[in-house]
Amino acid sequence: MTYPMTVVLRRAALLGLAAVALSACNNKRVSRVDPGSVTDLSGRWNDVDSKLVANALIDQSFGGQWSGQYASAHGGTPPTVIIGAFRNRTMEHVPIGTFVKDLERAYVNSGRVRLVASRDERSEVRDEREDQQTNASAETRTRIAKESGANYMLQGDVQAIEDAEGREKIVFYQIDAFLVDIESNQKVWIGQHKIKKYIDRRRIGW
Amino acid sequence: MMITMKASVQVSVLFGAGMLLAACNGPRRIRERPIMTNGDRTASQDRIIAGAAAEGFSDNAMLTQARDSIYAKAVATCRGTICASVVKGEISLGMTPAQAMASTRTAPAAWTVRESGAATVMVPRVLGNSPRDATGEVVMVQFDDDRVNAVSYRETQGIRVVSSASDTTTDGRATAMADALIREGDQFNAAGDRARALDRYDRALALKRADAMLEYKVATMLDLQLRPVEAQIRYKRFLQSLEIEQIRARGDANAQLADAIARAQQRLIILERQAPVQSTSPTSVRPQERTTTAPPDSGTT
Repeated sequence: MTYPMTVVLRRAALLGLAAVALSACNNKRVSRVDPGSVTDLSGRWNDVDSKLVANALIDQSFGGQWSGQYASAHGGTPPTVIIGAFRNRTMEHVPIGTFVKDLERAYVNSGRVRLVASRDERSEVRDEREDQQTNASAETRTRIAKESGANYMLQGDVQAIEDAEGREKIVFYQIDAFLVDIESNQKVWIGQHKIKKYIDRRRIGW
Repeated sequence: MMITMKASVQVSVLFGAGMLLAACNGPRRIRERPIMTNGDRTASQDRIIAGAAAEGFSDNAMLTQARDSIYAKAVATCRGTICASVVKGEISLGMTPAQAMASTRTAPAAWTVRESGAATVMVPRVLGNSPRDATGEVVMVQFDDDRVNAVSYRETQGIRVVSSASDTTTDGRATAMADALIREGDQFNAAGDRARALDRYDRALALKRADAMLEYKVATMLDLQLRPVEAQIRYKRFLQSLEIEQIRARGDANAQLADAIARAQQRLIILERQAPVQSTSPTSVRPQERTTTAPPDSGTT
């Protein structure tokens, strides 16, 4: 009942492969982590950058005098803001919407700023209102030409500068946001946040 | 064996020196201390928003209280048309400072008040964030013995001052706007921009229909821009409007327009003579004909 050496080796190799295949099936690990935790993997733009930008812009925006001055000149009525173009001028994919939505949430929930639907959002609302004029009953019908006009438009951009040598890389992001008076074109507030990342890709490491 | 050992030591030393030299030429290592690393936590947005909301609420409550108290004071002391103006949100002559503030739905925080004897001037505290009444953006309210005697509005064509009852009417406002447009047109004309000057005169004419001199200015601008057919119509309208005014003012008012009348009539004759030539062949007008029938000097307008 003795087997030749080659057969033994072949069986051992097959068993090894089967073991590796089985262990590979179990390699997926999913866990929920705190959205406020800092988790940098690749060094590219991520949720932490978005959050830092949102926090900085919210803080700077409320720290500015523009909303208070408007409210005091208009008997306590808060200013109305519309979200305009926020451009990504980097080579990277930067989802602008995440921090802009954070800023919108801060404006509305604080009660210090009124927000109106942006150009993209309002077309659907207008379609619905138009539809109501024909199909909704008179007592539930919303009225036309009752939209609130915005006083200020929020605009901004994201720019990046990269510098790399060998395994090291520096990425610098500059995020600028500003509020423009729609009537006079005056910039009433400018917010800015800068992020500098150092990425070191070591060949051997723990 | 000894030679081999020595050689290997020399090779090692050379290699080490080479490595050192290579390191000198490489980029400097970054030694900045990180301000945020994996595992840290970002600040909570909710806390920032809650702080801003609390601050905004208290500011707003103070403003609302001040505004309501001014409004109550204004309404308690008003009568008749002044009361109606306060409710409509329109500053009118004869109002007190409190009533003027109530008309713009503002509190004293929105204004800077300066007093000098019986005269008081109220201007917006922040330029570019002026309070508004139903008519427009208010840039100055003047009081005499604590009663409004003039209100200045910022409008597209400049500042409009309302200082008499006639200024507050729709006609008064139209006249003020037309005057501002005429001034702007004159500036463009002086700068040689006749297209813009004509545009301003045309817009002014829509607001001030019975202004003969304005009609003459439009005719001249058209004439200078080599638009003879339209110029001809405008000259005729100018002369026609004068006849109506002549009846109205018994000839007295037209004395100052004598020069304009003479020039309009002269241009009309020239343009009428030129008309058949142009209607048959607009491109056949020779250069010397143009020089002989050159439009009037813009300076005369």
